[in-house]
Amino acid sequence: MEIITKLLTETFGLQLDQTGQLIAGGLIMALIMALVMATCAIVWTWAERKVAGFIQSRYGPMRVGKYHGALQPVADMVKILGKEDIIPDDADKPLFVLAPIIIFIASLLPWAAVPFAPGFIASDMDLGLFYIFAVSSGAIVGILMSGWASNNKWALYGAARGAAQMVSYEIPLALATIPVVMRTGSLNMNDIVIGQQGGIFQWNAFHDPFLFVAFMIYFVSSIAEVNRGPFDMPETESELVAGYHTEYTGMRFALFFLSEYANLFLVSCIATAVFLGGWNLPVGNAVVLPGLVFLSKAVLLVLIQIWIRWTLPRLRVDQLMHVCWKVLIPLSLLCLLGSGILLMVSGEIAA
Amino acid sequence: MTQYFRDFYDAVVSALKGMRITVKHVVKKPVTLQYPDERWVMPERFKGFIYNDINRCDACNRCVKACPVDCIYIETTGKGKDRFMYRYAVDYNKCIWCGHCVEACPTDACQHSLDYDHSCYDRTRLVYEFADPKSPVPCHKENRLEMGYYVPNADEERAKLAAKKEAAAKKAAEEKDKPETTEE
Repeated sequence: MEIITKLLTETFGLQLDQTGQLIAGGLIMALIMALVMATCAIVWTWAERKVAGFIQSRYGPMRVGKYHGALQPVADMVKILGKEDIIPDDADKPLFVLAPIIIFIASLLPWAAVPFAPGFIASDMDLGLFYIFAVSSGAIVGILMSGWASNNKWALYGAARGAAQMVSYEIPLALATIPVVMRTGSLNMNDIVIGQQGGIFQWNAFHDPFLFVAFMIYFVSSIAEVNRGPFDMPETESELVAGYHTEYTGMRFALFFLSEYANLFLVSCIATAVFLGGWNLPVGNAVVLPGLVFLSKAVLLVLIQIWIRWTLPRLRVDQLMHVCWKVLIPLSLLCLLGSGILLMVSGEIAA
Repeated sequence: MTQYFRDFYDAVVSALKGMRITVKHVVKKPVTLQYPDERWVMPERFKGFIYNDINRCDACNRCVKACPVDCIYIETTGKGKDRFMYRYAVDYNKCIWCGHCVEACPTDACQHSLDYDHSCYDRTRLVYEFADPKSPVPCHKENRLEMGYYVPNADEERAKLAAKKEAAAKKAAEEKDKPETTEE
């Protein structure tokens, strides 16, 4: 945000007071974040299909666009815009229309606190990490709403599963980040990244064994949090057709799709910022091309998530809950205890 | 409790094993062909679309009779020496690729090709014409020999035809001579 306002006032010579700066900078930043989201959906649908193809010894999309079906997402987008927008007769119409918008908003809001580069963060708030977890859980409301409003048993099953899963997995997700907050002494995303300067062993994921386990817990529960395989219980194609978005078509379905891929990238970005050192290079203190370093780490994490999705079979609902409540939560509490003791013994608590 | 930790260990190890397998496949060359650009090489005896070599066909109608679904159309004009075929068509809407026409054909005109992809937007396009009505195909053996079409045992037949012609010429000559003698 500072970068944007600096650009507006100094380079373009705009005379803005405090409120004007806030509004103009906020609008531009929101536009950039919305663009990042839309780009996510485009790039990741393509990447997902290509990686899935190569994992299954085939090519994936090849026909649209010159290079390896590069324009396939564009063709998909045009197709989905041309689809008929159907609202089922028995659906609860206001809720049916509102649900995709809520999910979309819930996946757009957390981007405000993602630190892409020094100074390049939409809102440099002190409660950054807390804010991200708080607003992203709004998606549960959207999922339950869409499942209920569709008046379809599969959609309702999918929504109930999705809500149960997301509510459960938010606990290990948040618990796994607490050791990091303890080490940094701040919930501010910028501070968390700056606290990891100085080589790969200062990154939270590789700092000590407890934090490494916390990173693994975060990664596993983030996959569950964005409803992707092997934890894609809300949309199990083989049982529930498509889960909570069974009845959606056209642009409304596209919103679900968009927010799914945006969430995929979002959890990877948060993992990068919180555990993998953000824009810091693996060696040295220098900050070189911070945005590119940050994005390449996040992209790597997304590719690993796609890789996991196309490798592992889907869990049963009870197994899913078993993993969350009996494995991940005790383990994350242990991590919390362990890293607390470690911090106390070493005296390495940030001022 | 030991079972709990064993399950935990198994889950992690088997997940990593599976991911090792999939990453191996990423490096492998894909097994699929880019179909319209690359094509599978069909085996020699592949029963593809029926193809009629019009040079060898003499409209004997055996294929028409053999066809269980009546998908071969032969149309001819005239009789005997004047018999010409101006249409040989196969309707692939009906064809069931049974190959009976291929078995029935005495001159191997009717054959399976290696083609298999003739999908089109209009079913009338699935009726394939093999003969050109502007240059009808002769059906009689003598015409075929003269016009350079295929006849089984062509050399023998040609010799026979030549002998026949010679005999005819002789007879004609004799007949030419006859009135002279009768006049005398």
